[in-house]
Amino acid sequence: MLRSTFTPFFSTLPAKPRLPKPLPRTIFRASTQCPPSVRQNASLSMPAPIFPPPTSAYVHLPFCRKRCHYCDFTIIALGSASNQPEDDPRMVNYVQLLCREINATKAGEKTYPPLETVFFGGGTPSLVPPKLVSSILDTLRLKFGMSSDAEISMEMDPGTFDAKKMKEMMELGVNRVSLGVQAFQEELLKSCGRAHGLKEVYEAIEIVGSCGVENWSMDLISSLPHQSPEMWEETLRLTVEARPPHVSVYDLQVEQGTKFGTLYTPGEFPLPSETRAAEFYRMASRMLSDAGYEHYEISSYGKSGYHCKHNLTYWKNKPFYGFGLGSASHVGGVRFSRPKKMKEYNGYVENLENGLVDWGESNHIDAKDMATDVVMLSLRTSRGLDLKSFGATYGSSLVLSLCEVYKPYVESGHVVFLDEQRRAMAVNEEDIEKSLAYIRLSDPDGFLLSNDLISLAFAVVAP
Amino acid sequence: MVFLSRASKTLKSPKKLSLLQNHSTLNPLSSIFRRNPFFNKFNYDHFGLSQSFCSHSRQNSKENAIDLSQFPTERIRNFSIIAHVDHGKSTLADRLLELTGTIKRGHGQPQYLDKLQVERERGITVKAQTATMFHKHHFHGADNNGANEEPSFLLNLIDTPGHVDFSYEVSRSLAACQGALLVVDAAQGVQAQTVANFYLAFESNLAIIPVINKIDQPTADPDRVKAQLKSMFDLDASDALLTSAKTGQGLEHVLPAVIERIPPPPGNSDSPLRMLLLDSYYDEYKGVICHVAVVDGKLRKGDKISSAATGQAYDILDVGIMHPELTSTGVLHTGQVGYVVSGMRSTKEARIGDTLHHSKSIVLPLSGFKPAKHMVFSGLYPADGSDFEALNHAIERLTCNDASVSVARESSTALGLGFRCGFLGLLHMDVFHQRLEQEHGAHVISTIPTVPYIYEYSDGSKVEVQNPATLVSNSKKQVTACWEPTVLATIIIPSEYVGAVITLCSERRGQQLEYSFMDSQRAFMKYRLPLREIVVDFYNELKSITSGYATFDYEDSEYQQSDMVKLDILLNGQPVDAMATIVHNLKAQRIGRELVEKLKKYIDRQMFEITIQAVIGTKVVARETISAMRKNVLAKCYGGDVSRKKKLLEKQKEGKKRMKRVGSIDIPQEAFHELLKSS
Ligand SMILES: Nc1nc2c(ncn2[C@@H]2O[C@H](COP(=O)(O)OP(=O)(O)OP(=O)(O)O)[C@@H](O)[C@H]2O)c(=O)[nH]1
Ligand SMILES: [Mg+2]
Repeated sequence: MLRSTFTPFFSTLPAKPRLPKPLPRTIFRASTQCPPSVRQNASLSMPAPIFPPPTSAYVHLPFCRKRCHYCDFTIIALGSASNQPEDDPRMVNYVQLLCREINATKAGEKTYPPLETVFFGGGTPSLVPPKLVSSILDTLRLKFGMSSDAEISMEMDPGTFDAKKMKEMMELGVNRVSLGVQAFQEELLKSCGRAHGLKEVYEAIEIVGSCGVENWSMDLISSLPHQSPEMWEETLRLTVEARPPHVSVYDLQVEQGTKFGTLYTPGEFPLPSETRAAEFYRMASRMLSDAGYEHYEISSYGKSGYHCKHNLTYWKNKPFYGFGLGSASHVGGVRFSRPKKMKEYNGYVENLENGLVDWGESNHIDAKDMATDVVMLSLRTSRGLDLKSFGATYGSSLVLSLCEVYKPYVESGHVVFLDEQRRAMAVNEEDIEKSLAYIRLSDPDGFLLSNDLISLAFAVVAP
Repeated sequence: MVFLSRASKTLKSPKKLSLLQNHSTLNPLSSIFRRNPFFNKFNYDHFGLSQSFCSHSRQNSKENAIDLSQFPTERIRNFSIIAHVDHGKSTLADRLLELTGTIKRGHGQPQYLDKLQVERERGITVKAQTATMFHKHHFHGADNNGANEEPSFLLNLIDTPGHVDFSYEVSRSLAACQGALLVVDAAQGVQAQTVANFYLAFESNLAIIPVINKIDQPTADPDRVKAQLKSMFDLDASDALLTSAKTGQGLEHVLPAVIERIPPPPGNSDSPLRMLLLDSYYDEYKGVICHVAVVDGKLRKGDKISSAATGQAYDILDVGIMHPELTSTGVLHTGQVGYVVSGMRSTKEARIGDTLHHSKSIVLPLSGFKPAKHMVFSGLYPADGSDFEALNHAIERLTCNDASVSVARESSTALGLGFRCGFLGLLHMDVFHQRLEQEHGAHVISTIPTVPYIYEYSDGSKVEVQNPATLVSNSKKQVTACWEPTVLATIIIPSEYVGAVITLCSERRGQQLEYSFMDSQRAFMKYRLPLREIVVDFYNELKSITSGYATFDYEDSEYQQSDMVKLDILLNGQPVDAMATIVHNLKAQRIGRELVEKLKKYIDRQMFEITIQAVIGTKVVARETISAMRKNVLAKCYGGDVSRKKKLLEKQKEGKKRMKRVGSIDIPQEAFHELLKSS
């Protein structure tokens, strides 16, 4: 095995190979794609970046009743038999471990700024008993403090909570609900393996309304198998009628290893064709915009004042903690994903408590990596890439090259150049480089081809 | 360094957890790398493996064991094995090498002399190979010094390629021989390359020994083959040897026939040294190694020799025979074939066909051979645009061992800097590509092969066009006439396919010159065909319409005037220079449509609609469009985990990198490769 692994390396060496430096012991190096010592970051000039401590935390609650057919997230299926979740030892033990992780976390700073956003994602966080949620929130408050107006979101699935549970959650501080409705057609819910039916969908909307949850999101999936344009239109219409202040529309990704992955091929029946899937995306963009939602990110729509603050930390490439199985964090410029297997996660928490996990230092951060993150994340938003701050950090020549690359796509309508006042500019305008302030992808044409468009920028930033 | 990170990743990931848990296992990599003995050994092995086939000479006991002075010309025989493709030349050579104890039976691979990786993979011989053998034989013609002691003979065998592209190798080999074994498959009978190679040998005045091989096959029909040999070449049936290189049957007659029927080399051992430079290649350790035939005189290690062509002088650092490995003998006598190492720095100094002589004497140069003729040209570009220097280096090194390729720099707007290379034929081009990849690790994109045309302009000037993109025709410089190269083709087929073959040849603008029957079952045809028409797919087509029975050979012939036009391919209105071809006016539309359809198949949908047009001058002869891509978006970035998305975008970026960008259109390399395959 060693032999075959090393052969290509040796063969590229002209003469006597040098011994690689031993790898230092840091989480960063243990977790990222390649050790920083072999990266080349000479082409980007960058002042040592300053990484403020996070004010956002993602908390992963992996429990589900069963796995949906499209899902490849880190989840733990409890089975439908688990009707007495209050004492389910799997949840109790997990939350204990999670709280140990929170407590063992060091952020490098002596004082932690209070958290502004917390997001309970899963899994199905609404399955977790309020008692356990409470202990997590208490731990977070004790450890970091919590802003009085912090946004505390929870993903909740129809059929997993009643008004009582909703109220309890709200009392604990949960003030934003991300409701996993997915579709308004019984047959579609069934065929994608959801654990709830249409009845539960309406009940859940009713509960959210009656409990006075003001800030909530309806989460939908488009391009499901057998989904017709009529069905999608109906889903969007009923969504608008339910008046959520926020809507998330995810396009179905057929992942390997999922049931859908074995059954279906993207673009082939019963999945919608590429043309039709694109039409679905356009339809959502049109209908939701007409209903007063701002399409502020590729898959997010919000009424003004209701954009998801937590998710914005992602798009702005800001730091955030991650707690729990398989969760990702971005602290001190270092992105790290926790183990996805419970046993390994357990070991990780132990190491963290014993001080064996070193978070690495920011001087190892690769500028190219950072720049591609910024480009990738900001171009997902309607705000787009802020060229002033990007240029200030990564160099104005990079900004110029980005402009060059995108010019043809401005002409084709996929990309929009904006000035300081966010007025669209034509590429042939004089001094365009001077007054150009933002680059964004157009809605929906540019968003629809965002992979291609963003990878163009990758080729410029990290050739 | 990329590989290092990949290697470390593979090693590391399963250890991720233990890495976090245990101090002592923190650096699995460094501990492995520190184990130097392994490291060094491996390193050594690697480079050891990569050295080419032409390595060490045996400096050992054999140097003393082989005394070449024991072999005056009358006890030397130089012969080639020639045949149609696959009739068993290399296998027969194996048997003869075994029979004489030159190689051990069952040791080494079959077709021992086919040493190149391409040769082994394709099962064909590409390069002629020489091997010296010793064989004891009672022969009353030679002076018999002991009463009963069988005298030993020195035999030089040259195994040659059968494929038409490499017939140059055959002619070169024959120049060092006085005889040839003409091998014919007992079931297939005389085929096109049998005819071609027979005439090469015949015209060189060689003694020809017909060997009907593969007689073990159930369909073998030696009598029919004998009749063909008689009727086609006037070779006597009684002269034919019957063999099976597979079972060994009849092999015992081969070497006696060689000794008895082939005359010894005619040279004069008392004359000043003259040797013919047959071949050369570059060896990592020894430098340039030349294969030579000593025509007159004697060569010793330490001699000072000069090239008749360049006047350059060299010291003979090593001299010996191929036995079959390089074996130092310190001397080569008249009539012997061997190798010399002379401190030449590049194979460019070793001109094939040159005469080498002692620097102190003045000699009449030998007649040499006519230079190899380049039938097809194509552009070679680095697949990865940035790798021009690497490709340059690889081509330089490979041409050291394949001097039959011509190389000139050129550039293309679509593909960047590259080379225009001339080849002996399409198989040769293919083999050259494969060797570039296998032996030198180069990745190339090649443009549509073209034959060399001659164009005349209104101002009376004439140019040879080796690259269609360079053909200009505008109001100032108008094309007034064009000439294209033709070949004389030999086609041999079972008689029932005559009709189909005639149709094919006339479709290919052929002109029938001869049509006869070799016997009741086989027809023999000669055609004049434009080279352009046969260069790409003619042989495949011929094979397919004759259920594989047709064989085909050609030799180059004169130019003929033709109506040849330049066909441009336009992507969104922009001509792609690397895709331009020259076609016959009457075929332009069909070829244009074919090219356009191929491109449509291989170019992925992109953000824009793409129109593909085939154009002659301003006239569009074919057109297709590729509709714009509708959607390519990864919606979810779950829980802020960007790694997967980033990986996907990186992959997409890398994919784009591997494409060639023309304007804003990404063209995958396969598109270029596919274009090669149409005529
Ligand atoms: N049955 C049978 N097969 C044979 C005999 N001699 C050779 N072959 C087979 O015929 C095939 C071609 O043999 P080669 O020795 O490579 O033929 P070649 O003439 O050197 O081929 P090129 O160098 O490509 O022109 C191989 O598969 C051999 O095993 C024989 O006497 N009998
Ligand atoms: Mg052979």
